[in-house]
Amino acid sequence: MSVSSATTTATPALPGVPSVRVPWAGPVLVGFALAAFIATVAVFVRTPLAQMPLYFAQRYFVLDATSMLFLLVINSVFLGIAVYMSSLARRSPALAPKMKSRTALTLAFMVAMNLGVMANHLLLLWAFIELTTVCAAPLVAQGESLQPRRVAWHYLLYSSMSLALTFLGIMCLTRSAHLQGIALEFALDEMAMVVPSSGDGWQRLGLALMLFGLGSKLGLAPLYSWLPETYEASPTSTSALLAAVQFNISVVAVLRVLQVFRGQDTGFVLHELLVMGCLSLVIAAVQVMAARNYKRLIAYACVSSSGVIAIGLSVGKAAAYGVLLYVVSAAFVKALLFLTAGRLRSVYRTNESKALAGVIRVLPFSGALFAVGTFALLGFPPFGSFMAEMLILSGIVQAGNLIAFTLLCTMLTIIFVATGRAIFPMIWGEPEQQRPPVREGWLTAVPKLGFVTVLVLLGVYTPRPIAQLLTQVAQSIGGQ
Amino acid sequence: MKLPLILFLVAAVVPVFFGKIRSAPFWLAMQAVALGWSSAAQHGEWSGHALAALVEVLLVRAVIAPLLLRRAIRGRGEPNLDLMPSNLFAWAIAIALLVLAFEFGAPEMSDRHALALGAVGATVAVSLLLLAANDAPPAQLVAVLFMENAIALFESLLPEPWPLPVHLALSAIYLLTVGVGAWLIGRPEASTVRATPAHAVEEGGRP
Repeated sequence: MSVSSATTTATPALPGVPSVRVPWAGPVLVGFALAAFIATVAVFVRTPLAQMPLYFAQRYFVLDATSMLFLLVINSVFLGIAVYMSSLARRSPALAPKMKSRTALTLAFMVAMNLGVMANHLLLLWAFIELTTVCAAPLVAQGESLQPRRVAWHYLLYSSMSLALTFLGIMCLTRSAHLQGIALEFALDEMAMVVPSSGDGWQRLGLALMLFGLGSKLGLAPLYSWLPETYEASPTSTSALLAAVQFNISVVAVLRVLQVFRGQDTGFVLHELLVMGCLSLVIAAVQVMAARNYKRLIAYACVSSSGVIAIGLSVGKAAAYGVLLYVVSAAFVKALLFLTAGRLRSVYRTNESKALAGVIRVLPFSGALFAVGTFALLGFPPFGSFMAEMLILSGIVQAGNLIAFTLLCTMLTIIFVATGRAIFPMIWGEPEQQRPPVREGWLTAVPKLGFVTVLVLLGVYTPRPIAQLLTQVAQSIGGQ
Repeated sequence: MKLPLILFLVAAVVPVFFGKIRSAPFWLAMQAVALGWSSAAQHGEWSGHALAALVEVLLVRAVIAPLLLRRAIRGRGEPNLDLMPSNLFAWAIAIALLVLAFEFGAPEMSDRHALALGAVGATVAVSLLLLAANDAPPAQLVAVLFMENAIALFESLLPEPWPLPVHLALSAIYLLTVGVGAWLIGRPEASTVRATPAHAVEEGGRP
């Protein structure tokens, strides 16, 4: 397998459609992504963990281990997505008219993401999650047919409902504090100190609503149906943005809630997470078995990974490190798979797995990357997801929850077999119609190779500063 | 101050039972007026903060959002149907939800707090029922906006009003949600369906 030179297959312009090139869109996206990535790495290298947390902008924002970890993840992944989008803009004149709005919305989305991850105020964090949704909805709707617009509306509707439930939860917490004579200021660091240890009914209701709402944003059952629909119908770069970037702000919100209520009796909330996680895994397993469309299959794999994360969080301290490793790995796996799926689609113009039989002979590099991404998704060694799943399973055993352990193992096995049955013939199968090999550009290959390298590093050798960062975040939610 | 709460409740409940889809912007504006009245009463005395919060509620929730919604509904050119399908079953569920909303938490609170909580609970409940009973996008958008207004009313249960930046942030989010939502649904489906050339969906979307 070799990557050919920088030759790309340009898509001809549409007849009758004026080609309005936006030459600055790609460089602006890549420039922003590169600047954000370099700034994040520089801050990480120059700021010892012992000096964190650092507050700024009147304590509305904080740089602590949690925000540092997720800034690193989202900006690394976004760099890859930006390179992909830039390359797409160069080779596809049909997309040129949309590039201006797509670039503006993507940049607004990323600014909201970065600020949201650093938010030290519960309401501000909520507002930034909603803002990322509002920026992403028009991106989902970018298409010439009506269907993406309907899907985008469903996405916005589900998100608004989920976040409305989350906000109601915040209100119930406020009501609880008020009834106990405490003025709640919503600064996350202060909330942890003032929240009453003896939680009343309002506090329990508030926590349950918040986690239900945020769980829906993560794609957990029962409010999960927006996720496969949206990921399948969106442009591939938008699917990657939602799955590998936006997903993380909801994870941050869940972690912040768990950090605030760490000292409280949160048993019932953890049971809620466990039930939502198990339900999501069962649904994902059934749907993956039925999937004949590779984008939909990746989307249901995202539902299953949300289920694993929820089950891991419900176990608590024993699995905390594993959950974080899983979240970080999942971001890179999803980005790798969606971006590669975009390349496959641009050549075959279909999402049907059967039509892509023997793809590795036509697109050797993308086919191989898709295979690698699938192996990482299924939790094969040497990838980080393998290590993370082992840690989560070991944590569940330590916690003595053998029912959850059995269910998790069973569902992961079913998903493993069903995914393999759908994807492996697609990659190595015998095609119905022979196609000549397509030359692939090196520009989009670089970030994908970077993702694979990160996944292998997370599984084989996690650099010490990253391991320390993961440990510190795990400890902040009660992990070991 | 019970009057604004009663007005809000009327504006939230009446359209669900008797309202048509094209009357929804009017009921939304009425809810916003009740919210502004409640907010002014909560602030007690007039200050810059109180005035700004009032102007923000009236401008965004009583004028701009209903106008955007009205434009989206008209743009679709659909028949002026009931907001919630009128049948005995839906009505019975709606009435049961309203009773439950007022029973919830009422024993522990003063009359005003119980009424405010009842109004919030009732609005959230009928919004969810509306979402379950009507799958037309304009009705779904109305349900979302009703719920957002209920959340804004919850503020009246808090000891202190939100700080102005929080008000502004919530308003901006509300406005963006209405704007993007109205843009997404405000196009008649039949007239926009056209063959999608393969090149146009090169990167994604369903073929």
